[in-house]
Amino acid sequence: MRFRTQLRDSKTFSKLTASLSSLGKVCWMRLEYEVIRFTIIPDQGTQVWASIPVGTIFDDTTYELESNSDAINIEVNISVLNRALRSAWGATHAQLRLTKKEKTPLLALTVLASEWTEGNMALATNDDADGFGDDPNSEEAPADTTGDRGPRERQTWITQEIPIKILHESAVEGLHEPHCPDPEVHIILPNLAQLKSISDRFTKLASTDSKNRQPGVMAPDAPGMHSVSFGGAGANTAATALSTNSSPKLELSANMHGSLRLAIATDELRIASVWSDLVNPPLDPAQMTQQEMSQLPSELNRKREASEAFDFGWAKVRIDGKDWSRVLSIGRLSPKVVACFVNEMALVLYVYLPHNRDEEESCLTYYINSFST
Amino acid sequence: MTSLSLSLGPPALVRLHDALICLSKFSETVAIEAEPDLLRLSALNSTKTGFASFAFEKGVFFEAYSFNSSVNGRSGSVSLERFFCQIYNKALLSIFRGRIDRNKDTAVERCDMELHEDLQQAECVIKSYKLTYEPAAVQHAVFDKSKATSMWTADPRFLKQLIEHFSLSAEQLDMYSDSGRAVFTSFTTKITDGKEVLKHPVHTSVAADKRDFQEYLVEENMHVAINLKDFKAVVAHAETANATVTARYTRPCKPLQLEYRFEGVNAEFTVMTRGQSDSEDIPTSTRGTIPRQTPAPVPISAIRQRDTRPSVTPSTQMPPPPPRSRSIRPLNGSSTQENLSQKPSADRPVASGLSMESDSLFVPADDDRQWDEMNEEEEPQDILGWDASGTQDAFGASIRDAEPSFSKHDGSHAEEADDEMGLPPTQRLSQVRQYGLFD
Repeated sequence: MRFRTQLRDSKTFSKLTASLSSLGKVCWMRLEYEVIRFTIIPDQGTQVWASIPVGTIFDDTTYELESNSDAINIEVNISVLNRALRSAWGATHAQLRLTKKEKTPLLALTVLASEWTEGNMALATNDDADGFGDDPNSEEAPADTTGDRGPRERQTWITQEIPIKILHESAVEGLHEPHCPDPEVHIILPNLAQLKSISDRFTKLASTDSKNRQPGVMAPDAPGMHSVSFGGAGANTAATALSTNSSPKLELSANMHGSLRLAIATDELRIASVWSDLVNPPLDPAQMTQQEMSQLPSELNRKREASEAFDFGWAKVRIDGKDWSRVLSIGRLSPKVVACFVNEMALVLYVYLPHNRDEEESCLTYYINSFST
Repeated sequence: MTSLSLSLGPPALVRLHDALICLSKFSETVAIEAEPDLLRLSALNSTKTGFASFAFEKGVFFEAYSFNSSVNGRSGSVSLERFFCQIYNKALLSIFRGRIDRNKDTAVERCDMELHEDLQQAECVIKSYKLTYEPAAVQHAVFDKSKATSMWTADPRFLKQLIEHFSLSAEQLDMYSDSGRAVFTSFTTKITDGKEVLKHPVHTSVAADKRDFQEYLVEENMHVAINLKDFKAVVAHAETANATVTARYTRPCKPLQLEYRFEGVNAEFTVMTRGQSDSEDIPTSTRGTIPRQTPAPVPISAIRQRDTRPSVTPSTQMPPPPPRSRSIRPLNGSSTQENLSQKPSADRPVASGLSMESDSLFVPADDDRQWDEMNEEEEPQDILGWDASGTQDAFGASIRDAEPSFSKHDGSHAEEADDEMGLPPTQRLSQVRQYGLFD
């Protein structure tokens, strides 16, 4: 079993691990010849299955993998890996390899960090030199400090040894991505920074509201967005059901005519933001026939009249506000995100990282369960 | 009657505040010693493994400084012309709270402090604070610079860059020299369950070129380990002072001193080192001519118990120190640290109004932290914490108005075993060995 590679893009790798680590600590990392898979299945909350082509984060030419099963499965604390990868930011050389130390398998990250220094530390204090001069043993101190004080490249070697667990192929055989019914709606999400800050704001308002029980918390007007306060008897019943759960639940819904609505409701407040003119991407014709495709619920919804669609053809999920915030942390990689809504059941996000045209695409799939009312 | 009065200008006030913050990372209390020519603030941590001291020089640091000792009758004994006491650091810090900001005009023109034997009073232009102090035995860690066999000097910003690679949970810092490189390694002595592999600490080592140090005269392959948090506290302060740090040490299990001077302030940090002092276990030294000090008998002191208050009995003694270089001897008064440990009234305002400020709806595009999980008070991974005290509200104390119920000790009876003062290692060597670090 052997794995060794140079890092090609430690920044992307680091951001990726940062986003993954918000969902769970333990990450199953599967090293294959072409792709690296990261999977996090927390006890509660969203699972993520990521498939990253080797070349996206590692240097293809130095990538070495040897294993009887054509893959190495390891378990790693992803936030520890993330923290260690910080040492590789801006490094001239960074290598990741599998190794062992006293029977503990490790991922060893070796980094050569270079930095230009203007001479040797412009600081000089007069006092520091003495005090050691009267040392009777000073002649025994090797004069190994060179007089080289000019501007030069400062080089520092850093090694980070991250303890891991090797998983046998049989241990991961039973792990599969969840199966979902065909979605009713698929839509490209708006700018994630905006979506995240609005979602976080909603969640926060609802949680402060439920904590303090302060009447009269006003929904803020989100600039550039039309906020709709909806009221009435119908909404009230929904609100009561939602507020029984401890952490606030966001209601996310979308249709096949480019609309997405984010809403939250508690006893005291109901707010919603609606995006329109988003894209409902076409399905990949290579995957199925025209005939099959036209029978999919999402394509049926697409065919509805636009006027009719404002009332019908919405698919809705109820998701945990905090969990959603963690999921959206992937936005730091500025990906394109297609959200697939299975009404009242699940939300599946396909997250595509930006890539060069000649490269394979990196895809992270998030499976988010819908809470029932 | 002892009298002390001093005046600080705004820059010195900032310096004093920085020093107090640094001292707060070592101990809850700060010892104040006044001498005719200097004022010294120091702190000794609860395990007695770390001692921090700042000496402020009369002529350079203060706008005005006058100290008159009452012990005029005892002529000839210069060392007695001192006044010492200890004070709750939070009480001092709370005075400066909101008034010290190097980037803002804080409208403090001068800070005067006067000390009366019954009350200490600090007058800040308009406000005057009366702080209670207690007389205490001030203990100094002993360190003989002339006996140091290894030393290095480096820019604090460079040291900070090295430290930043270490994981936040790392506790100890091992340093050694290896063929032209200075190697710093972090490790954790926490015992982890063998099965929970993923909870094992990350082992980080950083090897820097010796040329990155201003001076580097260190015995080859000799491992010396110190508490990483202490080191962080020192580096953080040295960075604010923009002062080059010098480390001096001899062998593992002997004290190590970090020192720097700036603007009339002499900062010294004496910390205990760990490692293997047995000479046969040390990798063959390239400097065999160094006089070996006999390994100190390892006292059975408790394993790191930061939170429990130590019973400060002079009987838990330490390895014999190197011969003392200074004439200062700790005067006595039995320890009254317990009295000070009474917490001040714990109810202080929680910063609740802040929660909404951080989440402005539209955030600048480049801020990576916007992607972090919301609602986290302070994500430790993104903010490198320099606070080693472990108390989040280290700077938020209110002034105690209750008189502490201690009785004054006259400090005249001599300390029995003062020669044995020093710093104990925190752990038995046999325990250290199990981690295989030096095997």
